[in-house]
Amino acid sequence: MSEEMIPLEKTRTSTFTTQMKRSFIIAKKDLKIYYNKPPVLIQGIFFPIILFIAMTVGRNVQPLYLISGLMAMTIFLTSTSIGPIVFPWESMRRTFERLITCPISIKTILLGSVWSSFIYGILFSLIPLILGMIFLSMELTISLAIVILGIIMAGFAFACFGLILSVPSTDTPGNTMIFTILIKFPLIFISPLFMAISSSPLAFISPLTYFIDIVNVGLGDISVFGSFGILLDAGILLAFGFGFLYLSFALHGKTLEKRFRG
Amino acid sequence: MNAIVVENLSKQYTLPKRSKGGGMGTKKTQNTQGNVQAVDSIGFKVKKGEIFGFLGPNGAGKTTTIRMMTGVLKPTAGKIKIFGLDAWKNQIAVKQVIGNVPEMANTYLSFSGWQNLMFIGELYGVSKEERIKRAENLLKRFDLYEKRDVKTKKYSKGMQQRLLLCMALMSNPKILFLDEPTSGLDVQSAKIIKQIIREYNERGVTIFLTTHDMEVANELCHRIAIINHGKIISLDTPDNIKRLIQEHQAIDIYFTNGVKRQDIEKLPTVKEVQEIKNGFRVIIENIHDSICELVEFIKESNATIKNLNTHEPKLEEAFLKIIERGSKNE
Repeated sequence: MSEEMIPLEKTRTSTFTTQMKRSFIIAKKDLKIYYNKPPVLIQGIFFPIILFIAMTVGRNVQPLYLISGLMAMTIFLTSTSIGPIVFPWESMRRTFERLITCPISIKTILLGSVWSSFIYGILFSLIPLILGMIFLSMELTISLAIVILGIIMAGFAFACFGLILSVPSTDTPGNTMIFTILIKFPLIFISPLFMAISSSPLAFISPLTYFIDIVNVGLGDISVFGSFGILLDAGILLAFGFGFLYLSFALHGKTLEKRFRG
Repeated sequence: MNAIVVENLSKQYTLPKRSKGGGMGTKKTQNTQGNVQAVDSIGFKVKKGEIFGFLGPNGAGKTTTIRMMTGVLKPTAGKIKIFGLDAWKNQIAVKQVIGNVPEMANTYLSFSGWQNLMFIGELYGVSKEERIKRAENLLKRFDLYEKRDVKTKKYSKGMQQRLLLCMALMSNPKILFLDEPTSGLDVQSAKIIKQIIREYNERGVTIFLTTHDMEVANELCHRIAIINHGKIISLDTPDNIKRLIQEHQAIDIYFTNGVKRQDIEKLPTVKEVQEIKNGFRVIIENIHDSICELVEFIKESNATIKNLNTHEPKLEEAFLKIIERGSKNE
């Protein structure tokens, strides 16, 4: 018996641009659905506020470090708040199988999650910047462009980091929350938040450090990495981002099947 | 012309450590390494334009098979070709021409019915104008148009299932995979879904469906494969599958005057006689020979028939018998 072939033009749907376009459709869906979910609100909004209060009240923190520290903590926690809950939430609500049988790859779904986390993180990190400028009379003495560059680089790196946190194949968002807190909090505590970068011995292993350095430069300080410091910061954040992305593609590829067993 | 070709398809899972040693609640074959053979070298072809039913008890391998066919799971061995393309190697191209309603799936509850359809249409690359046109037509056809702007968390299970089918049809698929499409639905929703399956099949869409509902399988399917313990144990038309259990052919016969059970039992073509209310159920081998013989017997006995019904084996009985035979043979 003969077999009908799928017309060749149909295979064009696998091209990079089509999949990229579809990743933005996924991002739009993620933003609409997950922006107000309790785990996202808790980790993306309440935690930065609580940690900010806990780490600054009663301490003599320089206004510069206050702004850069708050921005770093906010962008880190908000950018990593959507990614980890999308997979368990969709598994729990039984929408994931329907999604994965659409003409998109798992990488497209993950990229969609990166874009949504990126946008969410950027929007929320602008709040402390604006508040700082208004209430602490901060002026962008050097360049708003440098701060925005830092926000974009960090938003991407942290959004990709969020994908790694969503690797465990659970269908209970609460389990993911516990796991993400166990990873994210130690990273926050080793980062030079609300202090000089040089005063934190483990700062250099945290990606937050490089964002703080960029913001400090943007707000008129000098980079701890010398004259080409912000280029180094941007490069390291990009490397972290792509590294996390690559790792998440590999790990999700391995754990995907576990979500559909039984 | 084949829409789907499945050759020597197998799927083996490695159980997580805590699950080894049983406790799956199914009878899937488990080897000494703790691996579960969910699907074991199955093969079949689905013709273009056919409604192909895939039946089996819980844990038989139906959903695993459908998940391999729709690109969710990677086969451990074997091949699946969808319109000539390898379903795993050409996932995106294959997914573009199929529609899928997974078992127990849900729509996005924070979205309205309309938003769900727009989202899926966009993912399949359907233009905005076409998306709107298709969504309107589908929602009207599925009796959901009035509720199009209501968030689907307020939909009933039947409405959800109808919307899932709408979502699967948004891309005008060539093949529709339906995993238990009428399970747990109200009569109205089940009826609409059955009508739509027929309608789309008449338009040339190939349908691959799994179901527990033998009535649905009998009514809709051109051919049926029965799977148990990961192996296909029967593949034929519903009528031929029913004929496999000839011993279940029977005639229910009611007389106005006294006919003795022992007299009927003596007839050569009669295998067994059971007493039923006001009559007898006569288990036979061949319906034609038995009716001729019974008519002759009645004439000779001067009896009068009040009513006579042939009792055809039901697909459900055939299914149970085939599963039982399969289990005994293992």
